[in-house]
Amino acid sequence: MNRKWFGTLPITTRSSEQRSWLAGWTGQRWICLVLLGGILLSGCAAAPPLPEQFFQLAPASARHKALQTRMVTAADQRELLSASAAVLQDLGFHIEESVGDFAMLRAAKERGAREYGQEIARVFIFLLSALGRNTIVIPVDVQQQIAATLVVFPEQKDASRYRVRVVFFRKIWKSDGSSGGRTIPPGRQRMEMIYDPLIYQQFYAKLSKSMFLGIHQI
Amino acid sequence: MLNYSYRFLFFSLVVLLQACAGSPQKPPEDLLSLTEAQMKIRSYQSRVYDATEQKKVLRAVVSALMDLGFIIERVNVPLGLVTAGKFARDGFVEATVTVRPKGDERMEIRANALFNTRPIEDPKAYQNFFAAVQRSLFLRD
Repeated sequence: MNRKWFGTLPITTRSSEQRSWLAGWTGQRWICLVLLGGILLSGCAAAPPLPEQFFQLAPASARHKALQTRMVTAADQRELLSASAAVLQDLGFHIEESVGDFAMLRAAKERGAREYGQEIARVFIFLLSALGRNTIVIPVDVQQQIAATLVVFPEQKDASRYRVRVVFFRKIWKSDGSSGGRTIPPGRQRMEMIYDPLIYQQFYAKLSKSMFLGIHQI
Repeated sequence: MLNYSYRFLFFSLVVLLQACAGSPQKPPEDLLSLTEAQMKIRSYQSRVYDATEQKKVLRAVVSALMDLGFIIERVNVPLGLVTAGKFARDGFVEATVTVRPKGDERMEIRANALFNTRPIEDPKAYQNFFAAVQRSLFLRD
């Protein structure tokens, strides 16, 4: 009986030529294939940035400059800077740096950064992973610092006209997460420039109101 | 017995080798001297412009840095110094620029930049920066 079983084995192997070419693959071959795929895909990952790109004008830089800059008519540069600081304070910012003779301000405020979308994704992945062995809690944005840098440029030709440029940006910190017993570190802090026109319009509207200034878009 | 001899030999060797360890290394004497490579880097980090007013050039530098997406961190007018930074993909770029009078009618701008605390030594990066400064100076004029 045993002999007959061994005897049938080669026949079975030969007849397997008709089966799918993947049927004979062992676990090791699959692992090799997955690793090879991983190596090939890693080639598609974004290359590190070239240093020359850091100092290249972006195509959108002129648009961003127009968004951030206004032409202001004011009697005095110091008064304009003081009014700008007061508006930033009204908006909840604290002034971190001020250079009077250069007419520059740097301000910041802390805010929560939690978003519904990220929280929903976190709960969904947690519930999905709870079906398996390890529960996964993905890191989400928790804290952000909204910062502003303001510089007043006097116009060479007209002493009563100034170019005010304010730049808003935010730094975001993530929470940590976990996968089973392991902690997922919070990852790197990231920065985003704020290009929402409404933010800039609101700022300049408040500045205009505070000083009864003539503010014009350039 | 033989085993004990080997152990003794091994410990003797360790003691002897410890004697070979030198005293703590002193910093090299030429630490602050400029190498040829450093001189070359300095040459493309500097540029001289026809300008008389330091503050005006400083404003052009600040304006150029803002156009390039940098956040101005500090400005020191008496020293003609600007420090700025920006987040890039995979890291943080820091730039320090100084504006100093060179003679009566010229200003020297010196820039050096770091990416993730490592110096940027690519001349193209500085060429691009000075192109932005020149544009800013020209537009302001």
